[in-house]
Amino acid sequence: MTTLYIDTSSSYLYTGIVKDSKLLTEVQEELGHNLSEIALPKIVEMFDKTGLKATDINKIIVVNGPGSFTGIRVGLTIAKVFAWSLNIPITTITSLEAMAVSINNDKLLVPIIDARHDYVYAAIYDNDITILKPSYIKLESLYNKLNKDYLFITNDLINLKGEKCEYNPDILKIVNKYVDKKDINPHMVNPEYLKLTAAEENKLNGS
Amino acid sequence: MKDTYILGIESSCDETSCSIVKNGREEIATVISSQINIHKNYGGVVPEIASREHVKNITIVIEECLEQANMKIDLVDAIAITYGPGLIGSLLIGLEAAKTLSFIYNKPLVPVHHIAGHIYANSLEKEMKFPLLALVVSGGHTELVLMKDHYKFEKLGGTLDDAIGEAYDKVARVIGLEYPGGPKIDALAREGNPTYKLPIPLNDDSYNFSFSGLKSAVINLNHKLEQRGEKINKSDLAASFQTVAISSIINKTKKAIINYNIKNLIVAGGVAANKGLRNEINNLGKELNIDITIPKMKYCTDNATMIAAAGYYAYKIGRVADLDLNSKSSDNLH
Repeated sequence: MTTLYIDTSSSYLYTGIVKDSKLLTEVQEELGHNLSEIALPKIVEMFDKTGLKATDINKIIVVNGPGSFTGIRVGLTIAKVFAWSLNIPITTITSLEAMAVSINNDKLLVPIIDARHDYVYAAIYDNDITILKPSYIKLESLYNKLNKDYLFITNDLINLKGEKCEYNPDILKIVNKYVDKKDINPHMVNPEYLKLTAAEENKLNGS
Repeated sequence: MKDTYILGIESSCDETSCSIVKNGREEIATVISSQINIHKNYGGVVPEIASREHVKNITIVIEECLEQANMKIDLVDAIAITYGPGLIGSLLIGLEAAKTLSFIYNKPLVPVHHIAGHIYANSLEKEMKFPLLALVVSGGHTELVLMKDHYKFEKLGGTLDDAIGEAYDKVARVIGLEYPGGPKIDALAREGNPTYKLPIPLNDDSYNFSFSGLKSAVINLNHKLEQRGEKINKSDLAASFQTVAISSIINKTKKAIINYNIKNLIVAGGVAANKGLRNEINNLGKELNIDITIPKMKYCTDNATMIAAAGYYAYKIGRVADLDLNSKSSDNLH
């Protein structure tokens, strides 16, 4: 089993190839505004380095959000076209799940991404139990849901009360955990923005 | 000679489209997924919604196109992609898809300028003859482009403010027509007479255009009549606007045809669907005795057929991009 992992939901590119529970190669790089330009060339470099061909891949795991709308779509488009054209299984996970899996800690794990205007994208996990599924939530409301010792995981500059740690993805661990997750038809692989567009929100609010 | 098949992808605005074209001239299959029914709820294209729809549709559109063509991607010679200009978030979906296909199938990636696509929509109708004049008229462009050969574009002039399609849509909104209003003005104009007096825009020696003064004149006139409580004859107002706008375009086009010894006038862009403009262009062709090419209605709006057609000629002169090709929201035609 050879799995291609792709996460472009932030300004970082996180991608790797895992073969039979071994990480063959990975890229963890801040690309910022160059993400759309460089993401695919970086993925191709991994193939060149390992000598693998696109047809050697037999599973794709792609992060489908939440995070940067444009960023999510870049990786997701690459992933769904890849899976569709090679006719291989594909599954999605959220950026917040990937963040939580990468940390070993018995506290409540709270992966958190800045969504601006006092809002965040966050989830709460107590070991393997989901206390709060990935949500678009006001930061103040999030604290009310934290009923024991907690640890924030974030790479964003958010003013947080409590202990926090950086997110450095453990791609091998993420892939091992989700490699058997149920496959999705590539046509149906879509982003989880967790947030309507401004135009849709304005329409709902009648303005 | 061996046939060349180009697979084209277009996603620069609110249409997700894929097409396969043979030798730059013959459409094999085209699929277009339009989002117009979504955006009309907002009075115009909402960029973030457009991007969200493209990502949902992209693989479905490509698959349906291949099914219609009864072809596999292995059999195409190259993949042509609209890299710009357009909405950046929309462009990116087609671009990432095209780059991924180019990698997986090891096919050359051919970058196509959206306006080159509109120009080459005409190659699906008739073989182009040079020197050629392209009148580019759309929601974002109003330009006269001289071509002495394939892929040699020389801009003679363009709009200094609003594009013609933009002026149509704004005028339509003012007189209470639903988005997209341009085609509705064209239809209304046919029922009315040009009775309202409007200023002739930028009547000078250049090949440039200006439509914002004309647009404002219509808006002011409409406002004045409303204040006076006079009933506005919408058909007559539409006819008055259309007559002035089109005659401005025809005058400059005519001058360019004479000065550059043009053999073939082609019309490109969404406003090429305007029936009033099509009539006047055909009359001009008869008057000056030159070849006129106007794309079929289905090739006037955004589609991947024209991108695959333009992609063929770009491929033939060796225009191939690397996988670090990026989308551009604006770029000069070259």
